[in-house]
Amino acid sequence: MIKVLFFGPVAERIGNNSLQVEHRPGIRLQDVRDELAAQYPQAFEIVCFAAANGEHVRDMSLPLADSSEVAFMARFSGG
Amino acid sequence: MKDAVRIQQEDFSQDEEIRLLQASSKRMGGIATFLGCARDFSEGREVSEITFDAYGSMALSELNRLRSDAIEKYGLLDARIVHRIGTVKGGENIVFIAAGAEHRVAALEACRWMIDELKQRVPIWKKEITPQGDAWVTPHP
Repeated sequence: MIKVLFFGPVAERIGNNSLQVEHRPGIRLQDVRDELAAQYPQAFEIVCFAAANGEHVRDMSLPLADSSEVAFMARFSGG
Repeated sequence: MKDAVRIQQEDFSQDEEIRLLQASSKRMGGIATFLGCARDFSEGREVSEITFDAYGSMALSELNRLRSDAIEKYGLLDARIVHRIGTVKGGENIVFIAAGAEHRVAALEACRWMIDELKQRVPIWKKEITPQGDAWVTPHP
């Protein structure tokens, strides 16, 4: 399984802090994003950044291993 | 000894952070600090408190990387960053950044760079609680 985390405004729009997506061979970060964006379009309207295993990811073609932790995040507003 | 980079619910002491920074090197000739506070008024509305959500483990590792990058980029002797999460009331402290260098220019520039980078790189989100309702803050450029 792939654990997907949500925070702040994205978590609020999804109504959950985390979801699980089934891992399949060759699955990429973009596939997870596409799958969830279709289910939660309002939440993904504000998604600007993605992370895999706690690191920023810019290349959405990143292949994901089983048990990966990914996050789809809105623009940050700390400080 | 408190870590140089922390994310915590409780308030912090600027004096203590500066004392710890200063104790790290006697070559330090300049210390620049930034203190971010919670405003009680924003976008024309009263704000009673602010709540913060964070991707805790990633935020801490990004803050540590930010500190290391600043030390390397500006040749700092040391730097400290503390960010609060949870609930912060109007007028209270949110974030403290301190940069120590041999001379003032590096300290001042590094301090400014760290708070600007923090806003771009560190996964923390703030929500303003107002009498009219709650709203996640849309970042300013």
